[in-house]
Amino acid sequence: MIFDRTVLWLTMRQLFARRRLVLAIAFSLTPLFISLIYRVTATDADGAAGDFLAGLVREIVIGTLLPIAAVVFGTTAFGGEVDDGTLIYLLVKPLPRWRVVLSKYAVAVVATVAVMVPAVILPWLVVRTPEMSVRVPLGFLAGIGAGALVYCAIFLTLGLTTRRALVAGLLYVVAIEMVLSRNLSGAKALSVREFSITIAQSAAQTRLSNLPVTLATAWTMGTLMLVGAMGLGIWKLRKYEVAERL
Amino acid sequence: MTSRVELKRASRWYGNVVAVNDVSCEVGPGITGVLGPNGAGKTTVLHMIAGLLRPSAGEVLIDGQPSADNPDVYRSLALVPEREAVHPFLTGLEFVRMSAQLQRLSDVDAAVARAIALVDMSSAQDRRIATYSKGMRQRIKIAGALVHDPPLLLLDEPFNGMDPRQRLHMMDVLRTQAAAGRVIVISSHILEELNDLATNVLVMVAGRLAASGHFREIRRLMIDRPHTFTVRSSNDRKLAAALLGDESVFGVELTEGGIVVRTADRGALTRQLPRSARTADIRLLEIRPTDESLESVFSYLVDR
Repeated sequence: MIFDRTVLWLTMRQLFARRRLVLAIAFSLTPLFISLIYRVTATDADGAAGDFLAGLVREIVIGTLLPIAAVVFGTTAFGGEVDDGTLIYLLVKPLPRWRVVLSKYAVAVVATVAVMVPAVILPWLVVRTPEMSVRVPLGFLAGIGAGALVYCAIFLTLGLTTRRALVAGLLYVVAIEMVLSRNLSGAKALSVREFSITIAQSAAQTRLSNLPVTLATAWTMGTLMLVGAMGLGIWKLRKYEVAERL
Repeated sequence: MTSRVELKRASRWYGNVVAVNDVSCEVGPGITGVLGPNGAGKTTVLHMIAGLLRPSAGEVLIDGQPSADNPDVYRSLALVPEREAVHPFLTGLEFVRMSAQLQRLSDVDAAVARAIALVDMSSAQDRRIATYSKGMRQRIKIAGALVHDPPLLLLDEPFNGMDPRQRLHMMDVLRTQAAAGRVIVISSHILEELNDLATNVLVMVAGRLAASGHFREIRRLMIDRPHTFTVRSSNDRKLAAALLGDESVFGVELTEGGIVVRTADRGALTRQLPRSARTADIRLLEIRPTDESLESVFSYLVDR
């Protein structure tokens, strides 16, 4: 087993502390409210509901909610324990450190996707027309899942690298995902958002973006970034030393 | 189950700060105290033994095996860290159970119940750790460490935050563990804490091993050193003259802030001083040891 059950359980408890749970629920319901407003105000036109859902998923869910959820869960998976020193209780156990990293990573990914499921399914239920089969939201979720895998690897490692991981992660999202990759087409090959959109639209067979990166680019770059970030994270924890506060 | 800890010329530095400098020693069954002022490198030594810090030079071995990068040593080793923080959202029971599960014990429930009972925390085990007092946190940390019956137990300042009753109880627990043949290493910056507890003491000063040996021997060295007191009275000059007649006094100096008295025998002086004052009809206003700071005690040991 590459995961440790007890570390999974502990990380779950850490990530879903009460206050964060309330925020996560509010977060995952935001797209529902937007689509309810759309449902009440929009006049029916051909394909308009499809366009609305695509825009909602592209901009709000994949473009904003996914990276923020991944930053929060990814950086907290380790960040809190490094800060308060409780990480030591996992390190002095007969358990290889790579397994600690993989277990924490798995929980961060699952938590991120869990928040995204209602954010996609509920709006689809509200605005769906007969042409929008269940394949559409499931396809979107596949792309989101792929995005969560890469994002969480990056942010988990960030949590092991800096004490200000949350701020650094948000800066990363704003700089790379929101500004650079939207305005500089070359930077798209480094954008997890673009990979996510490409995989989502291919899985859902629904157009999300007019200028997507190719599927091959998305898979290759996504895998490279994931493996690179996880490798670095495992290396960081293996090298991690508990320093005396001098 | 005997364990043996060996430091062979172990040093550790952080950048250009040397925390531990060329320490060699061997620790066997029983209770060993690591004594020294704050910042002397006690925690660094404990963390090196626990494999959480790699020595920058030299070796740290447990039963002949290096402890760093070797998760298997944690089957026979436990560390109670100094930092108070324990996952605040867990209950005491959940914390100890987590330790037991991570150790992959066969009978988790029995081990957890035994460890919690050992530190007398059964009645508070279902409360969240966030609600615990300092002493309770310390005890639940020790329960988490003892849950897998480790032959080697490292405790970093374990008595911090405990009230005297809890301290006595914890000493009993540790003595029982030592009697069972465990190797127990306790760090402390207070000599008296290790009284009646540690049989052997390693004294660390500024990263070096300044002295090591039997507790009573070290204690005698530290207590029977020359002491200096500052005394203020209603008539300093007359009192100074009276004190010079006392055999335990080997120096008296009149200063603006009172008289500075040097003695080789602190006990004799503290008995004699009030008598001399009363005989001479002088009122004592203040008696203050001048050099009681730990640093001066320890540096005396080093300069000896």
